[in-house]
Amino acid sequence: MIETPHYLVFSFTLYMIGIYCLVTKRNMIRLLLGIEILINAANFNFISLASSIPGLIDPLALSIVTVSIGLAASVSAVAVIIIVYAYRHYGTLDVRMLKRLKG
Amino acid sequence: MFSPPIDILLIFALTTPLIGWLLERIKKVQLCGVYASIGLMISLWYIYELFGNISSGGAQTFTSFFSSQLRIDMLGIFMATIFVLIGIFASVYSLRYMERDTGVPLFYSLLLLMISGMVGTVFAGDFFTFFVFWEMMCISSYTLVAFRKQRWEPIEAAFKYLIMSSAGSATLLFGMSILYGICGTLNFQGLHMALSNVGSSVWLYVSAIFILIGLGVKSAIVPLHTWLPDAHSAAPSPISAMLSGVVVETGIYAICRVGFTVLTGIEVEWLSVLAILSLVTMFVGNLTPLLQTDLKRLLAYSSIGHIGYMLAGLATGTVLGLTGTLMHIFNHGIMKGAAFLCAGMILYRLETREMKEMAGIGRKMPITAAIFALSLFALTGMPPLNGFISELTIIMATVEANMAWLGIAVIVNSVISAAYYLRTIKALLQPISHKKVEEAKEGPLVMLIPLLIMAALIVVLGIFPDTLINFARSAAIALLGGG
Repeated sequence: MIETPHYLVFSFTLYMIGIYCLVTKRNMIRLLLGIEILINAANFNFISLASSIPGLIDPLALSIVTVSIGLAASVSAVAVIIIVYAYRHYGTLDVRMLKRLKG
Repeated sequence: MFSPPIDILLIFALTTPLIGWLLERIKKVQLCGVYASIGLMISLWYIYELFGNISSGGAQTFTSFFSSQLRIDMLGIFMATIFVLIGIFASVYSLRYMERDTGVPLFYSLLLLMISGMVGTVFAGDFFTFFVFWEMMCISSYTLVAFRKQRWEPIEAAFKYLIMSSAGSATLLFGMSILYGICGTLNFQGLHMALSNVGSSVWLYVSAIFILIGLGVKSAIVPLHTWLPDAHSAAPSPISAMLSGVVVETGIYAICRVGFTVLTGIEVEWLSVLAILSLVTMFVGNLTPLLQTDLKRLLAYSSIGHIGYMLAGLATGTVLGLTGTLMHIFNHGIMKGAAFLCAGMILYRLETREMKEMAGIGRKMPITAAIFALSLFALTGMPPLNGFISELTIIMATVEANMAWLGIAVIVNSVISAAYYLRTIKALLQPISHKKVEEAKEGPLVMLIPLLIMAALIVVLGIFPDTLINFARSAAIALLGGG
C-alpha cells in the first residue's frame, strides 16, 4: 500500500512539470498540454486525498474531479480554437512570434 | 435551480442564439440585443427581491439537485447588483457597437454566460460551486476577448490571457485540493469551522499561497498582471468595460471571501502580504500609463492602479476598510465602464485608439467628450464625484488601522494618475489635426443613453453617497461578522 505522502510528492512533481512546461516550451500546443498537466496534478491530489482515511473513499472528491475534467476539456477546446486562428494569422505555432503587443 | 437571478440569466443565455436564428430570417438580428438586455433587467429585478428577503431574514441557502450549494448574503447581493448593472449598460451599448460584426447572437449569449458566471461566483456557498462558476466566467471571457477573430490583435491577447488565466485556475484548484485534504469539506462555513478547530499548519500556508496566486492572476495583482493590458485593450469596447469594471473585481471579491472566511487563522500574515502587494500594484499601475499613447491600453493600465487601491482597503482588514474597498469596486465599475464605453465611442467613429490621431475630438463629439472627462475626473478622485468618496474611505481606513503609509501611497498615486488622465483630456481638446476627426459626428443615441445614465450615477453617488455607504457597510459586516 502506498502512503498518502508519496501521492502528494507525485502531485507536486506533476505540478512542477506543468510549470516547467509553461515556462520553457515554445509551441502553443505544448503550452496547452502544460495547462492540462497542471489541472491533472490538482485532480490527482483530490483523488489521493479522498482515500486518505482507510476504508472510506469520499464521493465528494470524485464528483469534483469528474466536473473538473469537463471544465478542463472546455478550456482546451477554446484554446485549440484560438491556436487555429493564431496559426492562420501568423503561419506558425511558435509562441515567440506572438510578440506584436508591447508596452 | 440556482436561485432566480442566475436561472434567468442562464435561460436567456441559452435561448439568445435561438432567438437570433429566428431574427436572422427577418433580417433584424440586432434585436437579440434587446432580448438579452430584457433578460438582464429581469435578473436585476430578482436580485432586488432577494435583497429585500436577505435584509430582513439574513443569509439564504439554496440547495439544488446538483448538490451545488448557494449561500446568498449581503455581500453577494452587493456584488451581483454591480455585475448586472454594468452588464445592462454594456449590452444596450452593444446594440449599435456590434452592428458591423457577425455572430451577434453568440456575442450576447457569451455576455450573459459571463455575467451568470460572475453572479454564481458571488452566490456560491462552497468552494467547488465557486470554482465551476469561476471557470464559466473565465471560458466565456476568453472567447469574448477573441471575438473579432479576423484581426491578429484579439487572438494574440486572448491566447496570452487564456494561458495565464487557466494556469491561475489550475493553481487555485490545486490549492483547493490541499484545503480539502486538511478539512475533508469544501463548504465555506464548514471550512471556517474545521480550520478554527485545527489551527494553522504548514499545509494551510501552502494552500493559502496556491489559492492567493490563483486568485491573484485573475485580479491582476502586480507580478501576475501582464495579461491585463493586452486583453482589455484588444477586446470589443463593451467587453473591455465588463472585464475592467467587473471581471477583475470578481478576483478581489474572491480574495475577500476566501480570506475572511477560510484563512482567518493566518489573517495577519496574508493581510501584510497583501499590503505590500497593494503598494507595488498601485505604483506599477499608475507609472506605466504615463508612457502610453494607446487610449484603451492607458485605461487598462489604470485599472491595475485601482486594483491597488482596492487591495489597500482590503489589507486593513477592518469593517471601514472593506466598506471602502466594496464602494470602490462599485464606483470603479461605473467610472471605468463609462471611460471604456466613451473610448469605444471614439473608436466606433474614428477607428483609431492612438491619442494623437484623435486630437480635438471633443469639438466634434461634445457629449461623449464631456462624459469621458467626467469619468476621468472621477477616476482621479476629484471631490464632488464618486471616486473621491471611496478613495477617501480607503485612506481613512488605512489611517485608522495604523497603516498610514498605505494611505499616503494612495494619495501620491492619485496625484500621479492625474498626470495621465489630464493628458488624455488635453488630447480631446487640442486643435483638430486629422481629416478623419473633421468628419466625425456625435455617436448614436442608443450608445449615448447608457453613458448618460452612468454619468448621472457618477455625479449622484458622489453627492449623495449615503445609500451606497450603508449598502457597502452591511456587505462588509456580513463578510466579517457572519463568516
